[in-house]
Amino acid sequence: MASNLTASRLGEPGRGHYRSRPRGAGRSIARTLPLLPAVVLLVVFLVGPIVSSFYGSLTNGSLTGPAAAQSSFVGLNNYIDLFKSPDFPVSVLLTLVFVLLSAVVGQNAVGMILALLLRGGNRIVGAIVSTIVVGAWVLPEIVAAFASYAFFSMQGTLNGLLRVVGVTGPDWLYTFPMFAVIAANAWRGTAFSMLMYSAALKDVPSEIIEAAKIDGASVPERFIYVTLPMIRRTISTNMLLTTLWTLSVFTLIYVMTLGGPGNKSMTLPVLAYQEAFKFSKLGYGTAIATILLLVGGVFAVVYTRVLKPEVD
Amino acid sequence: MGLSSPSGGSLRTVSSILLALIGIIFALPMAWVVLASFDKTATFALAWPAKPTLGNFTAVLTPDQAFLPLRNSLLISAGCAIVTVIAAILAAYPLSRYKARFNKRFLYGILFGTALPITAMMVPVYSLFVALKLIDSLPGTVLFMAATSLPTAIWMMKNFIDSVPIVLEEAAWVDGASSMRALWSVVMPLMRPGIAVVFILVFVQAWGNFFVPFVLLLSPGYQPAAVSIFTFFGQYGAVVYGQLAAYSLIYSVPVLALYVLVYRFFGGTSALAGAVKG
Amino acid sequence: MNRSTKAILAAGVGVSLLLGATACSSGTGGSTKTIKVAYMDYGGVSLDNQMNSVKKDFEAANQGVRVELLPIKASLNDYYTKLALMNRGVSTAPDVIYEDSSMVKSDAAAGYLAPLDSYVSKWADWGQFYDNAKAAGQGQDGKFYGVSLGSDTRALWYNKDILKKAGVSVPWQPKTWADVIAAAKAVKANVPGVTPINIYSGKAAGEAASNEGMQMLLSGTGSSLYDTSSGKWVTGSKGFIDSLNMIKDVYQGGLGLSPQVTSSVNYGSVIQTQLLQQSKLAIDLDGSWVSQYWLKGAATSWPEWNNVMGVAAMPTQDGAKPGSTSMSGGWLLSVGSKSKAKDLAWKFVSTALDKKNSLAYDIAATQIPVRKDVGTDPTYTAGNPTNAFFSSLVAVTHFRPATTDYTQISNAIQVATEAVMSGQSSPADAAKAYDAAVVGIVGKDKTTAK
Repeated sequence: MASNLTASRLGEPGRGHYRSRPRGAGRSIARTLPLLPAVVLLVVFLVGPIVSSFYGSLTNGSLTGPAAAQSSFVGLNNYIDLFKSPDFPVSVLLTLVFVLLSAVVGQNAVGMILALLLRGGNRIVGAIVSTIVVGAWVLPEIVAAFASYAFFSMQGTLNGLLRVVGVTGPDWLYTFPMFAVIAANAWRGTAFSMLMYSAALKDVPSEIIEAAKIDGASVPERFIYVTLPMIRRTISTNMLLTTLWTLSVFTLIYVMTLGGPGNKSMTLPVLAYQEAFKFSKLGYGTAIATILLLVGGVFAVVYTRVLKPEVD
Repeated sequence: MGLSSPSGGSLRTVSSILLALIGIIFALPMAWVVLASFDKTATFALAWPAKPTLGNFTAVLTPDQAFLPLRNSLLISAGCAIVTVIAAILAAYPLSRYKARFNKRFLYGILFGTALPITAMMVPVYSLFVALKLIDSLPGTVLFMAATSLPTAIWMMKNFIDSVPIVLEEAAWVDGASSMRALWSVVMPLMRPGIAVVFILVFVQAWGNFFVPFVLLLSPGYQPAAVSIFTFFGQYGAVVYGQLAAYSLIYSVPVLALYVLVYRFFGGTSALAGAVKG
Repeated sequence: MNRSTKAILAAGVGVSLLLGATACSSGTGGSTKTIKVAYMDYGGVSLDNQMNSVKKDFEAANQGVRVELLPIKASLNDYYTKLALMNRGVSTAPDVIYEDSSMVKSDAAAGYLAPLDSYVSKWADWGQFYDNAKAAGQGQDGKFYGVSLGSDTRALWYNKDILKKAGVSVPWQPKTWADVIAAAKAVKANVPGVTPINIYSGKAAGEAASNEGMQMLLSGTGSSLYDTSSGKWVTGSKGFIDSLNMIKDVYQGGLGLSPQVTSSVNYGSVIQTQLLQQSKLAIDLDGSWVSQYWLKGAATSWPEWNNVMGVAAMPTQDGAKPGSTSMSGGWLLSVGSKSKAKDLAWKFVSTALDKKNSLAYDIAATQIPVRKDVGTDPTYTAGNPTNAFFSSLVAVTHFRPATTDYTQISNAIQVATEAVMSGQSSPADAAKAYDAAVVGIVGKDKTTAK
């Protein structure tokens, strides 16, 4: 980036007369002072609780019962119990499925399709549709969850539509809970990807596309071999963000299915909540949350290694 | 994409039809909320109300149930968004303009912070707040929610600042302006769409946040709408879906309006380009 | 670490220390003339009204004292969470707490509740409370940690018209489980379009599957869930398998509700506010409070309910003495252990639970009285046609073994009912899985095979 080169040349001699720019240590402080409010907020409110939570996952801390009065250090027992529990691998699998299908495939793919259609379609239709899509995103999560619950319920809209074509739909929330929550989360989050990709596509120079067209490339070939590589960074950053956000989705699933039936839609955040707050096993629930954080870390590493988003 | 070529007439129609189809699908769940709110005997079925009425709205629009919680939601969300935006700009500016070895690590670290499961951390946060005497205080809650929004906000803000060419600031510096002055008068006006995007994002997330205000606020007079909406999911009473839908509508309209106002006025799709580009 | 990093960290730590220092300055949790009363405000208004009325009377009778009501608008689990958090901090701990009977033992063990023995022993009204109601407020150490507001019992609600049509004689009083199944089968054979019977099962039903479902059945067998004398949980009991078999007979025999209903978050409210009124369900093993949804002024009021619905006690498995059984829960008022005004808090509790206030609350909230004088008061029996019946069940009722581990054990019970209801497991296998779960929860040494 050109701007970064210029920034790093600031301190060079002969660059200009900076009366108000102190040198050395003073400059360090002046440069870092603006960071202070953010750092204070982060350190005071986040770092402490994170460390405390992590420590808590090594205890049998609880909200009630004798362990609430006096918790004891249990080392890695919570983690060991977690790995031994039959619920855990199911939960991890469900979480991965949820993230891959609703964020990676759902939001990103549908967002991209919408972005492409918006470029080619009628302007007014585009404005209306994009506002509707963003409306779903801006809706408070509890309202979105409830609206989705109504949509997928036995007497809900989806079955109503199917009835019009003569099909009797099942109770989606009971028979296909993962499908319902994946679709609901995709519905909710697509707007962000749509906006990202719209903006990125705008910056693809049309001359390059024209050149490819003249070279005889078909529409799909132009898209895959010319357009996509040019917006690679946006794609990888967007996928990273949507993945991380989707990993911690809780309210949507909880209100729609309670993690059920049984544990058929019990993703890690829902499992963590159940253990920490329903069963009052805080230490155990926090261990699950820590694992969730690690899963997020793995995704982040994978994305940055493979897709290289710009972070400098 | 070659869709803008002159021969794309039919392509344009096909795209528009597909767009409309997707739009209708996306609108369906929301349509139910709207229709049910005007129906006193609403069920989950998408049906035109037999007797459209404003009864649900009048039932829920009481000071206790609606006005006070909505006021609290506004205070919390706006406060959180303002604090976050200010702290994020201040932090992102040096991160963008001044190369330091910790930059990359810091940014990855805070990006990782967006995956934090805040719900799991609320118990130590509660203890922290009791110690700091910030329990049951709206400002305290606002500060905490700002802290949790900072990672994403700083990250997005930095990318916005990166896309502002530095030459303008250099000119300001030559004229003797300090970096803060340059930030205020040169960079920020150019970043208005970016600021708008971050503001909306943080505001919307704060508006929908239930668990944090639920844990950190005790007085019923401080609870935001995200918490009071739960009374409609009454455990021992019948769920009156019509009223729940009406309340949901009332609860959602402010954020929808905010989006339309701020985004359309300040932004446009190009605004988001700066958020994620290299 | 370079200079700028050091600078930032130093500044950050400095400010945090500063904030911490100012925070650690002491300060009392409020004047001793204010007491905080925390309770659940969710779905109904009767508790809220009651608290407000008691507050008015209390403040009038005790000049200079202020009662700060803290209604917590949250679902059950969130209420427990909020309460636990409040109880952990001295400045936030409430003085009076609306406490669930299923949480008393564990909250007392957590040190949240103050023992009330010295207060109740001097309280004239204490003698009016039934013994098992007193026991509901006992901690594992035997001390009293709460006083009951009211209780509930469970029995068989049935639709008189449907049963008559099915050829079952009304008023109906089954003597054994076989009688119950026979009546359900008769409904299935003779009255199409109606679900014969509901016994709460499955995870979506939550605690109802455990309390209104399994434990209503189990308490009618010779086995129990928990051996109070040894403090151990029972595994491998015949009664447990028999109860699961009953559930299997209902659901695999086509006598129960469809999975759509039983797996829904609104399982209970659909039954209580729709199916019974619409005569789509013939028999429902449910609680004494159900009629509150049908009273005048309720959103789903049903004026003719008393003509249509009848009540029958749930029989024991084979009619063994005492012939019927019931389960009770209920809520209590407790005093917070961190309260700085325990005497005042107790005064509030004893005022809220005196005869006049107990009577008013029990009628308004369709509670079963736990005071003899309220239970026999004509105003009470006149308050609701089923009141006399449900209070009579207090004589045969059981309470849940509400130890610290109860929530998890209850969950294991719900899982067992789910497995049997869906046909996934046989009752024997589900019982084995339950036994394994119990051992996993409390450890082998806390279980006994009785």
